[in-house]
Amino acid sequence: MNIVDVKHLTKMYKKNRGITNLTFSIEKGEIFGFIGPNGAGKSTTIRTLLNFLYPTSGSATIFGKDIVKQSKEIRQKVGYLPSEVHFYDDMKVVDLLKYSAGFYKTFNPKRMKELAERLDLDLHKKMEDLSFGNRKKVGIVQALLHEPKLLILDEPTGGLDPLMQNTFFELLKEEREKEATIIFSSHILSEVQKMCDRVAIIKEGQLVKVETIEHLTKNNLKKITITFEQANAMDFNLEGIAKKEINGSEMKLLYSGDIKALLHQLNTMPIQNLLIEEPSLEEVFIHYYEK
Amino acid sequence: MIFKRELKRNFKSLMIWSVVLSGLILLTLSIYPQFAEQQNEMNKLLEAYPEPMKKALGMNELSLGDLMGFYGIEIYMMTTLLGSIYVAILASNILAKEENEKTIEFLLSKPVTRNRIVTEKLLAVFVNILIFNGVITIISMIGFQFADDPEVPAGIFSLLIVATILLHLTFAAVAFMLSSMLKKTRSILSISLGIVLAAYFMNVMAGISEDLEILKYFSPFKYVDAAQIIRDHQLEPLYMFIMAAVIFISLFVSFMVYRKKDMAV
Repeated sequence: MNIVDVKHLTKMYKKNRGITNLTFSIEKGEIFGFIGPNGAGKSTTIRTLLNFLYPTSGSATIFGKDIVKQSKEIRQKVGYLPSEVHFYDDMKVVDLLKYSAGFYKTFNPKRMKELAERLDLDLHKKMEDLSFGNRKKVGIVQALLHEPKLLILDEPTGGLDPLMQNTFFELLKEEREKEATIIFSSHILSEVQKMCDRVAIIKEGQLVKVETIEHLTKNNLKKITITFEQANAMDFNLEGIAKKEINGSEMKLLYSGDIKALLHQLNTMPIQNLLIEEPSLEEVFIHYYEK
Repeated sequence: MIFKRELKRNFKSLMIWSVVLSGLILLTLSIYPQFAEQQNEMNKLLEAYPEPMKKALGMNELSLGDLMGFYGIEIYMMTTLLGSIYVAILASNILAKEENEKTIEFLLSKPVTRNRIVTEKLLAVFVNILIFNGVITIISMIGFQFADDPEVPAGIFSLLIVATILLHLTFAAVAFMLSSMLKKTRSILSISLGIVLAAYFMNVMAGISEDLEILKYFSPFKYVDAAQIIRDHQLEPLYMFIMAAVIFISLFVSFMVYRKKDMAV
């Protein structure tokens, strides 16, 4: 069964670009990533799904219910973490969480305490005194508290330190074991790779591709920078070089071939420095378009 | 949920406005006995006032030496004008604040319809106005005790209170509508306050000059004119109808606009 079904969904703004003709579906229990550069339309998609925005054309369903007409019923079982967390400054964390819980049918104070404890969040602080990262934690707790069937997370890790990110990913894994479906937007490829089953690549409001992570990582694209000892780089060819750029003693490669073969090749050459990096999203996109 | 939250959030400002206005009412009423005592001299003094000014303040029809007249001139001006400013501020903020401070993303992600958000916030405005006017009424009645003869005609006094509430509701409804349409609380606040003050000055101008009398039809302050109410012992039905229509239309528009609004933060 599809939890989310999006058909030709379009949202046009007066000034800004929105999203155009998105069609995809998300299965039950899946962790589905939205990936794309800032302003690509990730948040617009999410906000349209939650009916903050009215679609210009097209339609979508969540749990088989229409996102416009049955939005309230949908939101009963959805947990949402916005990319920028804004809460009522005059409230204490615990008041905010209780206020939030009051909208749902169930409230589990024990779960609230557990979640706060695991995220190392002080429930009795005032919202206005919290740092950005701590606000994000409040956002996480209010999104998870009512044990939603669908979690929508818009750039969830921003502001969290690496330790907290791990805790957060653990929490997501637990939700997943409870058969929750998760939508996860990000512009950080490695994060998406770590968590998601499938990703939708969005660019300029359009869906470029929906791809399984396996397929994405099979490409195994690496960005490689080689600095040679002499002033001019020595050219060589290997299978799997998607793009080559030579600039003086420096050579930049997008490489999806066998790393061992590359190292073997380099071993015989007078190189001064070698840098192997994850390619930026833009580079992945370029790679995708060129294919 | 939202209703309770709004009552709590707006309680402080309700307190401050109530206390300040109560203070002003008591202070003003406390000097009434002197007015009444020296009524003859006062009247002579007031004769000297230029006619348009007396008209503007309603003093041509009301007497400062009579408790109801004194209320109509001195206190009524405060409760209507200051009260309208208070309710305009209250209603301007109540919906748009969520968008302005981006908390609407939180609220709308909860299982709650937009109609319910509007209804509960509206109810909070309504209850605040009722409490505010309740305080005004009680404090005025306490203040009347300063007078040697504290009896006031209950019918007329109630009419004045009802008129004040209606005026407050009218301005609140217009400000509430603006709050549903716009996003920046600061601009909404300036517009609402502008409307209240413009209406007040139109009323004053209409009183001063015969040529500008047409203005009175545009000013809700004229609709609840104390002199007219005290003289006729009734609220002018046409004016009541206009205010009811303004309230109804404003609220209807608020619901319609908010339902279909894109909440882009």
